[in-house]
Amino acid sequence: MPGLPDQDGYHQFRLLEDAWDSAVQHWHDDVLRDFDTHHWTPLQAESRLYLDALRKLMEVLSVAEHDTEW
Amino acid sequence: MTRIHADIDALKELHHALVRFRCAQRDMVDQGDDRIEATRASLEAKAGRWQSRLEQARAELGACQFRAAQAAAGEDRPVDCSGYAGAVSEAEERLERIRLWQYRVDQEASEFRGIAIRFRNLLEIDLPRTEGHLLALIASLDGARRVQAPGS
Repeated sequence: MPGLPDQDGYHQFRLLEDAWDSAVQHWHDDVLRDFDTHHWTPLQAESRLYLDALRKLMEVLSVAEHDTEW
Repeated sequence: MTRIHADIDALKELHHALVRFRCAQRDMVDQGDDRIEATRASLEAKAGRWQSRLEQARAELGACQFRAAQAAAGEDRPVDCSGYAGAVSEAEERLERIRLWQYRVDQEASEFRGIAIRFRNLLEIDLPRTEGHLLALIASLDGARRVQAPGS
């Protein structure tokens, strides 16, 4: 059953972080550092920025609906 | 060739996780857009309903004030229009609140749009590149292992 977009988004992001954590436990070289710098870190930062903004917007939409129900 | 010191299964699982994340987040982005539009439509519908009520309440107040004026001229019993005036005030206040929320939602959605566009670009352009890069690393690691295996 689909939930709130922001909650589902955070859930998917946590699953991805788990996979990353698992991968780096077995990966120790310059290739990892390069992948981290050029791929993982930007992806992580952009995803968090989006998910935080989505959560804030969903809260506003929810309050807007609630505050105009009579 | 760069040697990669990593567990190949963990990298493959990371690749699968990236693909799942991209597909799931694309759906989430669409759901977020749908939610914004649904709220906008809901507020617009509410504004329409309260605009109608306001017009009706104003008409009823006008009719009451007319009766009150006639009653005053004919020295009949005074007519109380306070209930109708209250209905007009209530409809005006609620309509005003809805209009404020419409403005706020538009502002917030506008701020969000820039971040959402960047994230969508990340999902559509950057993430497939990352997946491709990881697949190349896995293939390289796979190849190196195959070469090492006979002598190891």
